[in-house]
Amino acid sequence: MTDAKGIIFAYSASPDLGDLVKQRTAASLPFGGRYRMIDFSLSSMMNAGIYDVGVIMQRDYQSLLDHLGSGKAWDMDRKSHGLRILPPFGLPEFHRGNYSGTIEALSAVITYIESSRQNYIVLMLGNLCANVDLSNALRQHIESGVEITAICTEKNIPSQHYKYVKDEDGFIDEIRYSGDAEGLTALECYIVNKDFLVDMVRNAMVMNQFRFHKEALAGYFKQGGKMGVYMHEGYVSFIRTIDEYYNANRDLLKAENRRSLFPKDRPVKTKNNETVSALYGEEAVSKNSLIADNCWVCGSVENSILFPGVTVEKGAKIKNSILMRGCYVKAGAELSCIIADKNVQFSEDVTLVGSERLPIVVPKGTVI
Amino acid sequence: MKKKCIAMLLAGGQGSRLYALTQQVAKPSVPFGGKYRIIDFPLSNCANSGIDTVGVLTQYKPMKLNSYIGNGQPWDLDTSTGGAYILPPYLGAGEKGSWFRGTANAIYQNINFIDEYDPENVLILSGDHIYKMDYADMLKDHLDHDAACTIAVLQVSMEEATRFGIMNLGENGYVCEFEEKPKQPKSDLASMGIYIFNWQKLRKYLIDDENDPNSSNDFGKNIIPAMLNVGEKLWPYRFKGYWRDVGTITSLWDANMDMLTPETLALYDRSWPISSRNDTVPPHYVGENAEIIYSIVTEGCEIDGRVENSVLSSSVTVEKGASVLYSVLMPGVTVKAGATVQYAIVGEDTVISENAVVGNPPDGTEKWGVATCGPEICIKKGARIPAGAMVYTGEEEFGND
Repeated sequence: MTDAKGIIFAYSASPDLGDLVKQRTAASLPFGGRYRMIDFSLSSMMNAGIYDVGVIMQRDYQSLLDHLGSGKAWDMDRKSHGLRILPPFGLPEFHRGNYSGTIEALSAVITYIESSRQNYIVLMLGNLCANVDLSNALRQHIESGVEITAICTEKNIPSQHYKYVKDEDGFIDEIRYSGDAEGLTALECYIVNKDFLVDMVRNAMVMNQFRFHKEALAGYFKQGGKMGVYMHEGYVSFIRTIDEYYNANRDLLKAENRRSLFPKDRPVKTKNNETVSALYGEEAVSKNSLIADNCWVCGSVENSILFPGVTVEKGAKIKNSILMRGCYVKAGAELSCIIADKNVQFSEDVTLVGSERLPIVVPKGTVI
Repeated sequence: MKKKCIAMLLAGGQGSRLYALTQQVAKPSVPFGGKYRIIDFPLSNCANSGIDTVGVLTQYKPMKLNSYIGNGQPWDLDTSTGGAYILPPYLGAGEKGSWFRGTANAIYQNINFIDEYDPENVLILSGDHIYKMDYADMLKDHLDHDAACTIAVLQVSMEEATRFGIMNLGENGYVCEFEEKPKQPKSDLASMGIYIFNWQKLRKYLIDDENDPNSSNDFGKNIIPAMLNVGEKLWPYRFKGYWRDVGTITSLWDANMDMLTPETLALYDRSWPISSRNDTVPPHYVGENAEIIYSIVTEGCEIDGRVENSVLSSSVTVEKGASVLYSVLMPGVTVKAGATVQYAIVGEDTVISENAVVGNPPDGTEKWGVATCGPEICIKKGARIPAGAMVYTGEEEFGND
């Protein structure tokens, strides 16, 4: 039995995802032709034997709840200590409105954390796109005897502003706040001793410090605290803007990224409900694309990602685009650099062209 | 708890005519149509027809089938009042146990299981047919005609009738005679091997049949004739639609090819889903060099070669410069660069090495047939596997250099 509980932050509003998060959270955003963002954190935990997982959510969580269900897809449908949904509930006055930061979100569920029978807590973002080997990370954390370990990557991700600097002994003792700064990029994924986390949250709340990195962690370093570091090898991206979403999806067209995100021994699980394979017609042309089950491809698809149930009629052309579940592209339509949300219909001979720098987002259910 | 109807699914058959494919698994767990295994069809039909209790009778190489069916969750059969139950042959206390000796004996040995549910009727199914059927409609027909047994029948041509069990009807429309593979058929109504029996009646006939030492304990050969002899009411339920027995390599290949015309079985129809148990793998990837037309491709595949008129199950790899034509590739098959697979069935996790050629297009001769490579083997580099050949067993590599 793994001595760790998982906490996934799925409350973030992510306004930069625009229409994509109009009716959902970034954590429940469809990704990679069949997944939702949160599948990566849930599966990372599952693959480390962590089935006791709480998901903190705050608003627009209907689609997230639909996706999570009982947690069965991740073997988290346990008699006790399985998946726990943590929406806002019975909050004191100061918690109303958006959580002001991770600390506030944690303090809203502090009794849930405090009462856990495990000694370690894994904190993870619901919109992180990475398959993290938490099993190894946890082992390292326990062996090193530190109070907190940060999962980091060598990769520079300009949009990720939290960077860490190591001291001579290999422990982190400084945080920097710029994507261009020297240092290790934080995945914002931490393994923390339970008692340490509870104290940290309680103390920060007393001082009205709601922010995990800029206040709580910075304070910890100031007092001479040292943090362990576990290096994540392989693919990482954060999904906070339309640009990041578009690029991360297209990163999956590279074999090495697919291998890094979907290794056979640490599979990414998701709600599974397709009942039929994809079908290609007589004049289908498809190149460099990811195509899900239940798609019907009779036209041309290039450098694109098709979610389940997408129909591409004969003579239709799709390039550099992402089409979510149930989209229908009629004969003669031409799409380039489009992100179409679920059930969008493109009528005959419609041409819609975005640019790779600025893909066009078509909201759910639109008929064009 | 009393049930109106429960199903008993005969899944113990070896499927000896599929030899290479059923070396390690029972016929019902042979992959079909991209996403399925043969047994998904009767199981899904049960779930869609509102039959929530299914006993699955296993015998031959059942391990894979047992884990595949599990608690029946993929078919929504994991309910508190119903379920999918694996029923292997067993030894009762102080009794002599035995393997199932025939279809009727298999049910006889599970009388206690059926009695537990005290059903009014029992639906008998087999695990080797591809079709969609509303058993609830058949049950209604059965009850409307106050039948002791209702047999699903399919209209076939008179030539085909010589290959089936044929039902001859009396003037009242009930079955008056059953002939197994008649040389000169009197009717074109073929039995589909799907029966609904009044349970109390069937129970009695099963016990009588078991006490007859000369019986071969078979539904078609013994139980049905015995019921006809004493004038029980046997009603033919006329089924219209697609139905295929996939007991031979040719019929299995044909039925897979039929799925390339989606209307054949309308597998996409959400109102009658055929469900299956699948691992979660990413969508299939088509590479820069891929050419895929008129084919079924399932998630987890990585295709960078040419695929035409073929059915690819999950996680199949077709490398650059490889060709797959008019073939059925089961889960996990790899076709290496420069290899050709044509008019063939390739079993699970088999590797077709570089520049090998498996199968040949029809040449009009009697000898021609679909080539078959069994599961988990490796066809050597540059090997030639001729049309109609069947290779299987062992970890050694196959083919001549």
